[in-house]
Amino acid sequence: MSRLSDRSTIGAWWAAIWPYRHFYLFIAPFFVLFALFGLYPLVFSLYLSFVKWDGLTPMQWVGLSNFRTMLGDEVLRRALWNTLVIGVLYIPPMLGLAFLFAQILNAQWLKLKAFYRAALFLPCVTPMVVIAIVFGLLFSSEKGVLNYALGFLHIPGIPWLTSEQWSKVSVAILVVWRWTGYNMILMLAGLQGIPEDYYEAAAVDGATAVQRMWCITLPLLRPTVRFCLLLSLLGTLYMFDEIFVLTNGGGPGTSSLNFGMYLFNLSFGSFKFGYASCVAYTIAILVFIGTLITNRINRQRGGEA
Amino acid sequence: MSVRPRPSPTGMTRKRLSVAALLGSACVALLAGCAPPAPTTDTAVPVTTARPSGAITIWSWNIAAKALQGLVPAFEKRNPGVQATVDMTGARMSTRFMLALTAGVGAPEVSQLQMTDAPRYIATHRLADLTAVAGKYRDRFPPAQWQSCELNGHVYAIPWDTGPCAVFYKRDLFQRYGIDPAKIETWDDYIQAGKTIVEKSGGKTRMLPLSTNDLESMLEILLQQTHGQIFDEQGRIALDSPEAKQALDIVRQLRQAGICSDVAAYGQEWMAGFNDESIATYPGAVWLAGTIEDTAKDYPGKKTNWGVFRLPSIAPGGDHVANSGGSVLVIPASCTNKAAAWAFIEYALCTQEGQLAQYHSSSLYPAYLPALQSSTMDAPDPFFGGQPVGRLFATDITKIRRLNRTQDWGEATTYLQQGLSEWASRGMPEGDLLEALAQKLHERLDVPLAPAGTTPVAQAAGGTK
Amino acid sequence: MNPSRTPQQLLVRGAAYIALTATAVLFLFPFYWLVISAFKTQAQIFTLPPQWLPLPPTGANFVDIYREANLLRAFLNSVLTTGGHVLLALFLCSLAGYAFAKYPQAPGHAKLFNFVLGTMMIPGAVTLIPSFLVMVRLHWIDTYWALILPGAVGAFGIFWMRQYFHANLPDELIQAARIDGCSEFGIYWRIALPVARPALAALGILQLIGSWNNLMWAFLVLRTPGMFTLPVVIYLLNGEIRTPYGMLMAGGLLTTLPLVVAFLLFQRQFIAGVTAGAVKQ
Repeated sequence: MSRLSDRSTIGAWWAAIWPYRHFYLFIAPFFVLFALFGLYPLVFSLYLSFVKWDGLTPMQWVGLSNFRTMLGDEVLRRALWNTLVIGVLYIPPMLGLAFLFAQILNAQWLKLKAFYRAALFLPCVTPMVVIAIVFGLLFSSEKGVLNYALGFLHIPGIPWLTSEQWSKVSVAILVVWRWTGYNMILMLAGLQGIPEDYYEAAAVDGATAVQRMWCITLPLLRPTVRFCLLLSLLGTLYMFDEIFVLTNGGGPGTSSLNFGMYLFNLSFGSFKFGYASCVAYTIAILVFIGTLITNRINRQRGGEA
Repeated sequence: MSVRPRPSPTGMTRKRLSVAALLGSACVALLAGCAPPAPTTDTAVPVTTARPSGAITIWSWNIAAKALQGLVPAFEKRNPGVQATVDMTGARMSTRFMLALTAGVGAPEVSQLQMTDAPRYIATHRLADLTAVAGKYRDRFPPAQWQSCELNGHVYAIPWDTGPCAVFYKRDLFQRYGIDPAKIETWDDYIQAGKTIVEKSGGKTRMLPLSTNDLESMLEILLQQTHGQIFDEQGRIALDSPEAKQALDIVRQLRQAGICSDVAAYGQEWMAGFNDESIATYPGAVWLAGTIEDTAKDYPGKKTNWGVFRLPSIAPGGDHVANSGGSVLVIPASCTNKAAAWAFIEYALCTQEGQLAQYHSSSLYPAYLPALQSSTMDAPDPFFGGQPVGRLFATDITKIRRLNRTQDWGEATTYLQQGLSEWASRGMPEGDLLEALAQKLHERLDVPLAPAGTTPVAQAAGGTK
Repeated sequence: MNPSRTPQQLLVRGAAYIALTATAVLFLFPFYWLVISAFKTQAQIFTLPPQWLPLPPTGANFVDIYREANLLRAFLNSVLTTGGHVLLALFLCSLAGYAFAKYPQAPGHAKLFNFVLGTMMIPGAVTLIPSFLVMVRLHWIDTYWALILPGAVGAFGIFWMRQYFHANLPDELIQAARIDGCSEFGIYWRIALPVARPALAALGILQLIGSWNNLMWAFLVLRTPGMFTLPVVIYLLNGEIRTPYGMLMAGGLLTTLPLVVAFLLFQRQFIAGVTAGAVKQ
């Protein structure tokens, strides 16, 4: 192409941009910050997946070695397993409670709505570091209030934080306490989006309360529930503060080590930047693929994406 | 409103291309520029006659921190103008130290490190070079410890305390079953004695605790005695050697003789074993004495019962020494008051006064050899039936062989521990375990294997006694 | 609906009230424990049967933590970094949201917006290490910038503001302002922003919670005690050999109180911000 036409194309391009320069100016900060903290880290992280590096000594290219290590990494398997178990322990009760209370809070006859809503939602706004320490006190085997209360029911004291079997349960209890209110609010919003007419029509047709819930509420709430479920699953995977503080990094041993904590240990405990990047990327991609697959299945099933 | 001109199609493609090019080149530029900032050129602690001054912070943990705190008054009296603060915040200290080294901000003037971690930190080139001021102390420390603090002939850390090993035993059990500790010279003798005890006690008493998870630490002790290595001088993997095989053999013999109690070290049962009759001996480092004495406090009525005999040797006439544990003190290269920092380290680690004070206050076994020559070490220890235990552990301390530690030491020992544990759970089958483990280390650490047939050269013993 | 309530309905309602109240009590119990423990000595915290009220209460913990952990400084750090972060976030997100809402003819508008939405899918875990290294490179470690800038302009914030402007800011207002000779930025500042107050409140609250409570990133990028924010101070106190629980509870109370107060005052905005998350999906 001749220089003349190049210049005129760029000129045309500039002429197209110039009238909207404010648009680009106003959105520029996002792209600058994104380039710095999003794009560059994304690309660099990918590169790091193929090296061995501790941040200070020279980088060493190792190709696919990190991926091979990942396949044989028993601690990673343990962390993923723990994540699954913790998720199974807390997600059903939490969603169940959230749904139950959302229903109750949605009822017209309920008084003191603001109070109950506030009381149940308050756990979500507080700093986890503080809460985890308080729970640590409450869960203390010898001196904790919880075991004291259990004593009244003639249940022997449970080693909440000192036994490998119970540490995951303790984490689950903490998370239920923390996030039930949040999920409840989300479901409440979802419930309020269901038109009253549906219920009235069903009542006219003679449907019982249970039938109304089964046939109207649950199906129409499915997108909200799915959203809550997705948030919870991702949250369990990457949960950090709870494990960092309550079980002091996954203790006892590695019994409550979840994936987020494991990744932190790799990154800033052992300072294995290369391997950590590899693990983070692989799991992130697997999660992404998983979400795509579930979205596709849902779309095929009911058309409510 | 006026009509906005419509953009041309080529304008769109050009725009996308130029945006992409811009972002791409920015990435490459940043990527290229993301090598860590070069270490400050002046990392050496200079020799100076000026009086040190200023405030210094020392990071340390647990009992070691308390020991250092105890030294502060005497140190500050010697060095008026210096205010020393010992920071005992335990939470994630090694993470915070490494973050500070990486960022060049927030590091203390002095920090404690595990001896086994020292090579990893030294390799980062973020620690101050102490050669100019500390080189003269080289011969006053056991060569095995000093060499772990060196890189290319420069020293970056000073050994603080050590963990020479021996066997703690219960006198009454030995008397009951007719075992004379003086007659236990080799590991064969030890195993024989163990079998006797197990037989005569009807299986109630075992000779030592050795669970499948603790095989790696036992192997490390034995490697020092057989002169085996995990890494050779050049940092290559030298695990598959006759010396290492010999060490592994003894581990197998210990387990297969039926004399081991399968309790995990530092667990409840392991601790309870101090004061019941389930375990007759505890091979371990000198700092185990503190733990034993601590638990004995819960049984005030009991008579003193403990004694110590030297570690069994591999063969008659062999060495009865090994080391387990120990710490060092380092100065980050970014420290702005290296003179004062060094003054503190010198007082705490390179004087008899400093080292013995810590030995008395906190049972930290001095690495500083002149301190070991003190007559304090000969004092009879009432807890051990009047045995001069301090002197026992000091015997032949300079003969301890160094285990070459590289920056991958922590990771390597984790793999070994897992590998040995898995091997033990399969019944310790004969075969090329060491070859397999060496191969695994080679793959996981991306470190070359030492060529077969080369005997890893362990450092010759040296230094003053 | 039938005005007379059947016994069955009364039973169900009674059970609902009981369940709700019991859960509310359980959920609020840790806060109660936090408050009373802040006024107890170490010994009082660990007595059994537990002391339901600190008798006698002690203010020593607050004095101790002020002295030993420089809590006032930490509070200041938290206020400045969170305040800076929220203000910056509100400004930049509303600016970009306004732009995306009100300049639909700009070339590449749709593609750029889709790009922004796409960035929401990037998990923080993947970008953590390089983000930290960027901080080191820029010499922002141990500065307020390290806490204020990352995450200040997020895809969600932009989406939230754009959607609000789209629904609540009529084009006529903007055009009238242009005719009057107002600059583009002036239109944003004087016309768009005031309209967006509810959305700003909700977004601001969301950012407030995230920034004030942040532990991991603050732990990584803050290196000297003089710069620590409240969560970092609390966490590091927790690792002491003899954990000073009284001090911890006092510090924890001071860290939690501002958020609780803010929540009680702006409950509706909190909830709006939270519910917004469901909309984005």
